Amino acid sequence: MHKKKTLAAAALLAAAAFTLSACGSGNSGDKPVAEVSAESGSGKAATVLDQPFEKPDLVLTDTHGKKYDLRAETKGKPTLIYFGYTHCPDVCPLTMNNLAVAKKELQKNKQLTQAQKDSLRIVFVTTDPERDNPSALGTWLKGIDPDVVGLTGDFSTIQAGARTLGISIEAPQKQKDGKVVSTHGTQVIAFSPKTDGGYLVYGQNATVDDYTKDLPKIIKGENP
Amino acid sequence: MNRCLGGTAVVMAAGLALAGCGGSAGSSSAGSSSAKPALRITSAYMPAPVTSDMAAGFFTVTNSGGADTLTSVTSALAGDVTLHSTKGGAMEEEKSFAVPADGTLDFASGGNHLMFEKLTHKPKQGEKVAVQLHFAKSGTVTVEIPVKSATYNPTTGH
Repeated sequence: MHKKKTLAAAALLAAAAFTLSACGSGNSGDKPVAEVSAESGSGKAATVLDQPFEKPDLVLTDTHGKKYDLRAETKGKPTLIYFGYTHCPDVCPLTMNNLAVAKKELQKNKQLTQAQKDSLRIVFVTTDPERDNPSALGTWLKGIDPDVVGLTGDFSTIQAGARTLGISIEAPQKQKDGKVVSTHGTQVIAFSPKTDGGYLVYGQNATVDDYTKDLPKIIKGENP
Repeated sequence: MNRCLGGTAVVMAAGLALAGCGGSAGSSSAGSSSAKPALRITSAYMPAPVTSDMAAGFFTVTNSGGADTLTSVTSALAGDVTLHSTKGGAMEEEKSFAVPADGTLDFASGGNHLMFEKLTHKPKQGEKVAVQLHFAKSGTVTVEIPVKSATYNPTTGH
């Protein structure tokens, strides 16, 4: 019994420590990273963060093989970021297709100007950069939406960037049979065009309808 | 190889239908491992894949009889079909999946899924893909899996 308690306490401490390192802000421990992936019971897909994530300082390579500075390129633009990989049959293509279809639906919106609609950036960062080189990423994203920004680069850089958003990914591992096991994030983070802060988190159960409903708000930096 | 399995599939599927009918009537009270499994496959779908490299498949096995095991899956669509679970954002290949007595085995997005690789072509929405599910006791069941939109959600139905 005693041992168990110690372990639980240690786990809590570890979780608290992780929260601090993940958010990069020392003054508030009341937004644990774990809560981010929790399903909201309110019927809303998005979790609104009291304390938004800072946009990760990622400088990577895009699908054209060119340098892409995330902060510079998406400054002042509504931006959705997802971490996944192309050799992923289930969640990664579903998540990206949900975003792409919602973006297409956005064109029907009459309240937004074309400039507002065009300002949306959807960014896919690979968690499997060895296999997902710029051309592999480009081919895959062409099947989803060619306007999506696909980024690849050094895994440790990508992992560190993901960690600042509370997204934990592991390096791809080669198994005995030669197959590679990669991990993907389970969240999509939406960044406000007003503050450039990552203020909304979507879990992997968010549907195309959820994104379709929320995108007009995200484009204006409002809460859905 | 695939052709061989295809031949077996038809025969075994017929056998299963018979066993299924008899089993559910005779063994409803038992949950024992000796009872014959009685399997029903429902809610099967394949989201339209992005490329012809890879696709996923989902379905539910409902068992109103004794325990069984899903040991492998084959399809003429794919050179390779593997069984996967998802744990903490990572896929893990599994050799088999237990079908509990009087229980269900769920393949659902974000969890267990079939992974089709080396596809003969990229299946389009509206197509049907014949897939053979091989069970340890019930033999082979052929399922026609409909290809749905890439964003299909079984909960909302679209």
